[in-house]
This record gives sequence, structure tokens and C-alpha cells, in this order.
Amino acid sequence: MKQSKRDDIIQGQMRPGAITRDGMLGVDRRTLRDILDADDAAVRRLGLTHATIAARLRELRAAGARGLGEPIRVDSDLEIRVDSVCGKLPCPFGHPGLYPKEFVEVSNLRTGERVTFTQLNIHLIGTHGFYEGLDSPFRQDPETLARVLGITA
Amino acid sequence: MSDLLLAVGILCAINTGLALLLMLAEAVIVDTRDRSITINDTQIVTVPGGRPLLAALKDRKIFIPSACGGRGSCGLCKVTVIEGAGPLLATETPWLTAEEQKSGVRLSCQVKVRRDLRIRIPEELFAVKQYQAEVATLSDLTHDIKQVTLKLLDPPEITFTAGQFVQIEVPPYALTDEPIYRAYSVASDPCQPSQIELEIRYVPNGICTTYVHKHLKVGDRVTLNGPYGTFGLRPTGRELIFIAGGSGMAPIRAILLEMARTQNPRPCRYFFGARAKRDLFLVEEMRRIETELPSFRFIPALSAPDPDDRWEGETGLITEVVGRHVTNAAQAEAYLCGSPLMIDACIQVLREKGMPEENIFYDKFA
Repeated sequence: MKQSKRDDIIQGQMRPGAITRDGMLGVDRRTLRDILDADDAAVRRLGLTHATIAARLRELRAAGARGLGEPIRVDSDLEIRVDSVCGKLPCPFGHPGLYPKEFVEVSNLRTGERVTFTQLNIHLIGTHGFYEGLDSPFRQDPETLARVLGITA
Repeated sequence: MSDLLLAVGILCAINTGLALLLMLAEAVIVDTRDRSITINDTQIVTVPGGRPLLAALKDRKIFIPSACGGRGSCGLCKVTVIEGAGPLLATETPWLTAEEQKSGVRLSCQVKVRRDLRIRIPEELFAVKQYQAEVATLSDLTHDIKQVTLKLLDPPEITFTAGQFVQIEVPPYALTDEPIYRAYSVASDPCQPSQIELEIRYVPNGICTTYVHKHLKVGDRVTLNGPYGTFGLRPTGRELIFIAGGSGMAPIRAILLEMARTQNPRPCRYFFGARAKRDLFLVEEMRRIETELPSFRFIPALSAPDPDDRWEGETGLITEVVGRHVTNAAQAEAYLCGSPLMIDACIQVLREKGMPEENIFYDKFA
């Protein structure tokens, strides 16, 4: 799909300093539309949907929250810690509301891999199919998410 | 090929021209003439126009609490603007209730000083000062919590109440190209006004915590301002329940040190949650306070002790431990400090035990 004027404005909100210090694009030079299309294709190749991935992240966040800030074992292979820092962030796509700066760290004890996502990531993936740009601090690679978190079609 | 180069050249020239035009517009359109800010109808300060209200006030040594460096992502820097602020911005509305919007409450980091302003701020903020301090000691309390002792140089003393916090300034370094402020509760007894202790837990990639844990050294100079906040012991005489986890120890420790020094006779229990023994700290000090205050009990609890810990104390989540120990909280009051998840869960337990919500005070890390 072609990048629209509105996409340009949204992409501006993702640049360093607009909403977060490091932004949400990392080293990516592609248009927002190209980033969205590439990740959408990657998710379809996995036989998944953005909604399925977001639902799993939401489920893991809720399970980890029961640790009250301490790491907690979930399923047989996962250890999850949910922690917060001061503040809330808006959605760069202009959705109303604010998302707490809450970090969900999930370690796969079997493979030794770890992913860290936020409440805003869950919203961006589920509602917009946006996984952040390459090398962004909170980039969520769909294949990595599926592998580490055991998300299957 | 030459056409392509020409096109790229023209595009670069247009971009450069537009950037220069923007800079020119900024210089011409932004009115930097001096403006007056009338505060609480009692004090008038003059500031250059065009700057955010938060920064303009800070330049005049009036400090409004803020934890995000003026990005509008913490919602702490609220002030009431009676006159001159202009329309509410989209960046402010999510932080303000309908009532606040109606009564002129604004985020001072988002309001630009474009005209003369009349504002109202809490009177206690006039007592907030900026301090220069020196790092006197740095020690590891656990694998991820450092204790920092700051000796005050100028002014040489600070007056604060147990439970309050200060903001420390992180200078520009690898993770930030501008100074930023972060808030930390004071962990020391207010009877020592010439130095304060902070307990700072490392947050991966956190600008301030990385600075403190990886860069700060004994002898370094630190700029801080404070004190802020209303968290602190109410003089009611009720039985006390303290609950904390991690660096939430800090304000509770300050309160307990003061209680021990003043021989406060109120019955109190302190539930401290950690994962394993390596996450516990200041246990000996808490045991010492138990000997000094006969009515005080320290109850550490581990949610997942290591087998090597040989732990014989309380185990389980802090909510479970509080649930086991507290039978009727109707006549008690509680002070909580730690992660929002822990605080929300503990509030629920305390309410189930009969504690009225107005008797629960907390300092959330959020």
C-alpha cells in the first residue's frame, strides 16, 4: 500500500524525541507503510494474525502480573517479570488514552532467549500491526515472538 | 545519470531551504520578549517568552515536580493556570480529569509562556530548593539496588519529612544528550539534614539508574532539588502496617528510623517482599529497630527462595503473607511503597481485612 499524508504524520510521532527518547523506528529508513507491510507478510507466513500475537502477549502479561513485580514461572518454560516505571505513553497512531510504562520481561528457560515488551507494544501490534522499526529498543520481531513465546497457528 | 544527480541536488537544496525557513520562522514568530508570571497572587517573576512554563519556573528557582524531562509522559507537573495559557493541548488532555480541565489545571511542561500568566501552585513548592551535593558513599545493598549517600554542599542542609522524595539531575552522558530529572524517596532519618541516603534499583536501559549504577563515583557532584510529596506518617495513633518491596524500602525506612529515634509507641508491622535471600537488604538494621521499638515487628517474605537460602521465614507473595498475618485491619492504617501491581494487590487484601480506603497511603512507582 502507498504511504499516505496521514502515515507521514504518524511516522513523525515515531521519531526520537516525539513520544519516546529513542523513538519507535530504530535504524529503519523505510516508510511506515513498508514496515507495516513487511511485518504483516511475516506474520502471515507464520500462519498467525496480529490479534493472535497480541492476545498471547496480553495473556502472558496478565500471568506475569501475578508475581507483583517479582519473576514468576508461567507454563513449563517461561519466567515472566512485570515491572513499571513512572509515566504513560500515548499511541503514535492517535488513539485516545495512555499506556503505562510497564515492561514485561519473558525468559524462555528452555532456550535461554528473552523478549521484553510493553503495554504500548501490545496495543500497537493488536490494533495497528506495528512491531516497531529495525533495531528500535522495543522492536518485536514476529518470528522471535512466535518462537520464544510458543505462539502457534 | 546526470539527470538523477541533478534531481537529487535539487531535492537537497529544497530540503535545506525548507529547514532554513523553519529556523527563520522559529526565530521571528516565537516571541521571546520578557513575560511576567504571577504566582499565587503573591509573587511575580519575569521570564523570557517562548519557553515551557516548567523550565521557565525552574530558571527562577521554582521547582515543579516532573519525572519525564518535560515530555508530557509523567503527568506530575500540574499547575493551575488562571490566565494566559491558551487552549488545552492534545498532549495534556489524557492526564487531566474533566474537573481539572474545567478549573484550569495544565501540564506546565506543555504550556509555553507566550503571554503574561497568572498561576497557582501548592504553597509547599516554595520550600523546594536546588542543592549541590557530593557522593559520600556508594554501596551495593543487593545485586540490583545501590545505596547512595549524598553530602549536601550548597545549601549545606535540607529540611524534609520522612517519606518525602527528591529529584536528582542526571547530566548529559551516553544515554541522554540533555539533563534529565528522576525522583527518588529519601531513605534516611530527617534528623540528619546535612546528608541524605537514596536506594536506587537498576532498571535496564533506565537513563538515571544506568547513570547511578554504571557511572557515578564517590566524590562526584550531584545536583538535586526537593523535598516533594505528601507520603508520610499521619499522627493518628492507629496501629501501623507497612508494606514494601525492592527499593520501596526507602521511604518506609526513613519513617521507621524516625519512629525509633523518637520512641514512637504505635504498634506496627513491616511486611517486606522479595524474591530470594539475595534480594533482601537492611535486615540487620530492621532487627535492630525491633530491639529499640518493642511494638515493632519486621516480617520479610520471600516469594521464591533458592534452596541454598535455607530460608525459614515467611514464604509466598507479599499479599499472601499479609493475608495470613492480618486478621482485622479496621482500626489500622497502612503505608505502601513499591510497584503498582504490588500496591494494587495489597490494597485489595487490606480492604478485605476491613481497612477503610482512606486509611491506606501509598507511594507508587508509576
